[in-house]
Amino acid sequence: MKDYRIAFEKTGLMRYISHLDLNRCMIRAIRRSGLPAWYTEGFHPHMYLMFPLALSLGAESVCEAMDIRLTEEVPEEEILSRLNAALPEGLRATDVREPKHATIDIGSAAYTVTLAGEDLPALWEAFLAQPEILVEKKTKKGMKTVDIRPQILCEAAEATADGVCLTLRLPAGNDGSLNVSVVTDALAAFAQRPILVRNVCRITIFCRNGEVFS
Amino acid sequence: MLKEQIEQHLLEVQRPSRYCGGEVGQIVKDKSGVDVRFAFCFPDIYDVGMSHLGMKILYSLINERENYWCERVFAPWPDMEAVMQREGIPLYALESMDPVGEFDFIGFTLQYEMSYTTILHMLAMADVPVLQSERGEAIAPLVVAGGPCCCNPEPLADFFDLFILGEGEEINLELMDLYKEMRDQGATRSEFLRAAAKLPGIYVPSLYDVTYNADGTVQSVTPRDGAPAVITKRVMTDMDKSYYPSQVVVPFIEIVHDRVSVEVLRGCIRGCRFCQAGFLYRPFREKSVDVICEQGKALCTNSGYDELSLSSLSTSDHSRIEGVLDQLLEYTAERHINLSLPSLRIDNFSKSVLDKVTTIRKSGLTFAPEAGTQRLRDVINKNVTEDEVMRTCRIAFEGGYTQVKLYFMMGLPTETDEDIIGIADLAQKVVNLFYDMPDRAKGKLQVSISTATFVPKPFTPFEFEPQAEKSEILRKQDVLRRAIKSKKIKASMHISDVSQMEAVLARGDRRLGAVLYDVWKDGGRLDSWDEFFKAERWYAAFEKNGLDPAFYANRTRPYDEVMPWDHIDYMVSKAFLIRENERAHQGIPTPSCREHCGGCGANKCLGRPCFPGGES
Repeated sequence: MKDYRIAFEKTGLMRYISHLDLNRCMIRAIRRSGLPAWYTEGFHPHMYLMFPLALSLGAESVCEAMDIRLTEEVPEEEILSRLNAALPEGLRATDVREPKHATIDIGSAAYTVTLAGEDLPALWEAFLAQPEILVEKKTKKGMKTVDIRPQILCEAAEATADGVCLTLRLPAGNDGSLNVSVVTDALAAFAQRPILVRNVCRITIFCRNGEVFS
Repeated sequence: MLKEQIEQHLLEVQRPSRYCGGEVGQIVKDKSGVDVRFAFCFPDIYDVGMSHLGMKILYSLINERENYWCERVFAPWPDMEAVMQREGIPLYALESMDPVGEFDFIGFTLQYEMSYTTILHMLAMADVPVLQSERGEAIAPLVVAGGPCCCNPEPLADFFDLFILGEGEEINLELMDLYKEMRDQGATRSEFLRAAAKLPGIYVPSLYDVTYNADGTVQSVTPRDGAPAVITKRVMTDMDKSYYPSQVVVPFIEIVHDRVSVEVLRGCIRGCRFCQAGFLYRPFREKSVDVICEQGKALCTNSGYDELSLSSLSTSDHSRIEGVLDQLLEYTAERHINLSLPSLRIDNFSKSVLDKVTTIRKSGLTFAPEAGTQRLRDVINKNVTEDEVMRTCRIAFEGGYTQVKLYFMMGLPTETDEDIIGIADLAQKVVNLFYDMPDRAKGKLQVSISTATFVPKPFTPFEFEPQAEKSEILRKQDVLRRAIKSKKIKASMHISDVSQMEAVLARGDRRLGAVLYDVWKDGGRLDSWDEFFKAERWYAAFEKNGLDPAFYANRTRPYDEVMPWDHIDYMVSKAFLIRENERAHQGIPTPSCREHCGGCGANKCLGRPCFPGGES
């Protein structure tokens, strides 16, 4: 029995696949690949498969992680090639290794966010310059107003032909995540006009200690 | 590009992956190498259509031909439809995301009558004239249809260029070959249709003139331009050699039947007199054990599915079903694959088959006695005795089952209140059986009764019978409700005007085209969904066109009446149907085809008796 962490990309049409559907899709891909997947014991055995951090519907990613358990050791290149032969276009395994970090180590994630609209670089600057950014957040106890400003770390904001391309680092993991859409919705509310979100792509998952999750 | 435009809006709708393709198993071709493009349209949403076996077979079959390309098209759910309307996105096919109007063939499968309005709507969404007469002389796109409801396509005659009768594995390719040849020679639509009408199994409705009697019944159906007087359905005579796919499109979202299935046999030996499928798919033909197992294994390996279903009208009627199960279970068990047998029959359900199935999965059992008393079961030829129901339930309870679902029909020919009370009595006996068993399984017993309204269908011995009026069904439901004494029995009784409309369309004639058109114009679509069916819309359309639904649904038809579908031959003879109808009224059951040939006539395509020793 051996555990492997598979890094994979989810791009193109695959961004419309929900987390639950991705799970089912991966199980079928592993079955097609013929890799010796380990199944849980018991009355309803199921394949052991775990995603350390879910990705929202609509976002692309070049840094997703999936943990699988095989009944025997298989060379990493072989896992990679067999899996890739079974995956649909838009899902591509890029790396296989023994898991280094635990899921609970995850602390944040970085995204590129491409927005389109008039005066976007300036609008973004003004948006961030606010002392606080209050949003309504659904919690178990009902709606709650939170200030998300301290949670937004903007690492870059580059003007594009028709908007702006941001690199954002947002909290992620067990202690709570901040979804990119919450930020873009707040921006639209601030601007009092719709903002066209062209693309959201997760580029790195970080641990709380700053290391890249792997 | 349409593709980018669609993608831009996908996050506005539920389950966006219904609308973007990209699944494992989908077939994408280079358009420059494709001669004929076929849009396979299922007139319902993705989740339903993707479960349909016929589409899987024909999709792969057509795509095996390098220069033909078959793509999938489904009806959008209203959220997506609103987006498409707002953004001016026409109906498109999932593989290429090209507009359906650009295809050579727009092919619909007619699985149930209530999908007809969705067909009209999909054509309109594709910017294709809904009426055949308005499509002009350009040869493409041709609007065609196949599937079981083609046995009486008359209500759809105004909308289709042609219908494909029977099994499509050969005729679809013959039709596409003819099309390619004639299109390349510059033929017009009507030239092509006249030529297509000469292919066995092709019905071109515009080449037939229908006249009516003063009482509204059909007087005559007369062919023109050399079209055949009778059109006979196509049949694959050797199921082992009949094409079957080794891979399917594997959806991302969960669909209604989320599994791979291997068809083990076609036809049915039972002859239940209400069951249209039991007559339409005759004659009975089995696949051999090895072929079934090979096809099942290939599908599991290639798709990655963990559930394999052995599908047919009555899987346990396969003469070597235990051999199939033995061989497949060996394969599926060690690969964590569930083997499911969705259509087991109550009467030949043996302990060993049950044991084999339960090795893999244990859930509720579903039986369909269809009628509450032996008298009525003899009338409908559901050859199931109460003893058999009890024996099977005992086996099931011993095997640890605690949930039993019993399906019944209401409004069957000759039905009395005694038969309705018999439903409750039968369920009560099942409850008593459970509690009388000393070694019964732990767990809560639940016996569910589900009743549906009987709908008389063409090509059944009950095609002459009236459907019960809604008020009468409501009264019968009340009788049943009062007859149920145990809290362990749960009854769900659906009633809606849908079943009357289904009965109207099933046995309707060409005049209903105007009704369908008006219902659609008034916003009718996805009428098979309770939330979208609006009875008033239908009744208004009938009134506007001077037609009475009761004329079609609730009238006894004499044996010598010309049925709207009499020029269509599904190989089961009318003489046989009349014989069976008479036996029904005498309460005489007919043995299964395997025991004794009833002489329905379907074996004529085989050139031999269906079973050794039977009639030829």
